[in-house]
Amino acid sequence: MVLQLIIAGLAMGIVYGLVAMGFVLIFRAVGVVNFAQGEFLMIGGFFSYTLTAQLGLPMGAALGVCALIMGLFGIFFHFLTYWPLRKSWDITVIISTIGASIALKEIATLLWGPAPLGVDPIVPGLAKFSTVSIEWQFILTIGIAALLMGGVFMLLERTYLGHILQATAQDQYAAALIGIPVVVATGLTFAISALITGVGGLLLAPIFFVTTTMGGITGLKAFAAVIIGGFGSVHGAIIGGILIGFVDTFSGAYISSTYRDAIVFLCLILALIVRPQGIFGEKIAEKV
Amino acid sequence: MILKRRLFWMVAILIAVAAIVIPLVSSNYMLRVVNITMITYICVLSMFIVFGMAGQISFAQAGFWGVGAYITAILTVKLQLSPVIAIFASVLGTGLIAAILGLALFRLHGHYFGFSTIGVVMILNGLFQNWKPVTGGADGIGGIPAFGIGSWEFTSEMNNFHLILVIVVAVSIITYIVQRSALGRSFMAIRDNEIAAKCMGVNSYKTKIIAFTLAAMYCGIAGSLFAFLTSYISATTFTFPQSALYLVMLMLGGYNTLAGPVVGTLLLMLLPEWFRFLQEYILLIYGLGVMVLMVVMPDGLIGGGKKAYESIRKRGWAKQPSNDIG
Repeated sequence: MVLQLIIAGLAMGIVYGLVAMGFVLIFRAVGVVNFAQGEFLMIGGFFSYTLTAQLGLPMGAALGVCALIMGLFGIFFHFLTYWPLRKSWDITVIISTIGASIALKEIATLLWGPAPLGVDPIVPGLAKFSTVSIEWQFILTIGIAALLMGGVFMLLERTYLGHILQATAQDQYAAALIGIPVVVATGLTFAISALITGVGGLLLAPIFFVTTTMGGITGLKAFAAVIIGGFGSVHGAIIGGILIGFVDTFSGAYISSTYRDAIVFLCLILALIVRPQGIFGEKIAEKV
Repeated sequence: MILKRRLFWMVAILIAVAAIVIPLVSSNYMLRVVNITMITYICVLSMFIVFGMAGQISFAQAGFWGVGAYITAILTVKLQLSPVIAIFASVLGTGLIAAILGLALFRLHGHYFGFSTIGVVMILNGLFQNWKPVTGGADGIGGIPAFGIGSWEFTSEMNNFHLILVIVVAVSIITYIVQRSALGRSFMAIRDNEIAAKCMGVNSYKTKIIAFTLAAMYCGIAGSLFAFLTSYISATTFTFPQSALYLVMLMLGGYNTLAGPVVGTLLLMLLPEWFRFLQEYILLIYGLGVMVLMVVMPDGLIGGGKKAYESIRKRGWAKQPSNDIG
């Protein structure tokens, strides 16, 4: 029982971690919280339904196509919500992403209908390890998400392109001075962010139903993960996501399944009061 | 001063005309929409105080709106107290909760405070949804009596319209007075530069708590009115997206002047009502419209309008010298 819960918590947590990472990448690149991040997850979930249940693609191909579409979608989103507002106050971009989140939910309702859709698991059935049996879906979710996270890490830390992205995130003006095309760098960051979040939605789709509201609550929990991990820290987002996943699963199992959302956000407020900068965040310096 | 007095009379006459004309020309349904719009306006005003004036992003407003509504519902339905007591209890109770939360949450600064208020609205919603013995859980609370003083009851939609209009005007005047007072100026000083405000002797921690509490009291009164108006409340109304909507209305109208919340609320509440025939596309257009408006007018409609007016005037002024020469 405990081992199963740990695996389930880890699977949920790692998906929260993916979404949280999406938040952090955009926040580091442009200094704005994207309130439509949860809707990326929802769109990924709907795409996985279209690709597997409607078009009948095998799971591997569906994963690739979904990732590609979500990447393009991220670039599109970047030019629609962030780019025209890049020079104005950051709250205007936040409002613009709130508008985008309303519009995306409605587009999903128009295209796929309001009823929840079920998606078949990637590999059905249970894996047996001596006495405990665990759903393959959880194991695969953890595996694919971990690979994806590793890939993004390698991209950011080890490649030339990653250094370009990091330089732009640190100082757009200085990056432009040394000849980095800022629009490419921020656009690519949005693409990566949408891609990992969309794949998170694809992984989550078989565990829950795909609905237009799945993005809202998952997005907010991932947001809590970002804050607990430390705003702006990619490691922090992953650790925070896994912590939130465990709190979510274990409070649902042992304390009260009705209060699990409230418990998660209570943890958020406690974490903020005890350590406002998050686990990996640096001490917030007050601007003078 | 003369200009200001003229503006005052214009607004006063406009409100008087609205008070007489709106109930005459609109159907019962439309009157309900207008009532809900006015209640939303009070909530947007509360956002105006905490964000527009004091510069603190708060997503907790819808939660406080809910607290106000639930206090009224519980006092009138379960304890059978009079509506007048309930409305005062809502305001004071919401303010008290906000003050206690503010003591803890204003240890955080800037964006981090905003993040923690997301936690507040989620927890409050969790309580509304699940605390069955007190809030009725998912069933909500029904059968809330209409507002009344003694035997004088506000049962019809029109009575409610007049009641809410009086409170809206009162709350607007209070906001105007606050904005002009030393307290309001210290709010705005914190918004513009907190460290400079501290240097000038503003106790920023205390002042921010006062702003947060005052804003929550607005939401408390709005919640109480909402409960009396609809006579049934449930947790699904008081959610995080609702708070985000208040922020959107404030930003679209303009966060700098009192006219901003009025314009923003009217725009986002009444326009969808007139474009009902678009049916399932309405929310899509709504979302896209918010994005486009933000791109075109980042300062909101009032700010953008002012800018357009300035540029027109400047152009007119620039032409004059050339005419003189010619």
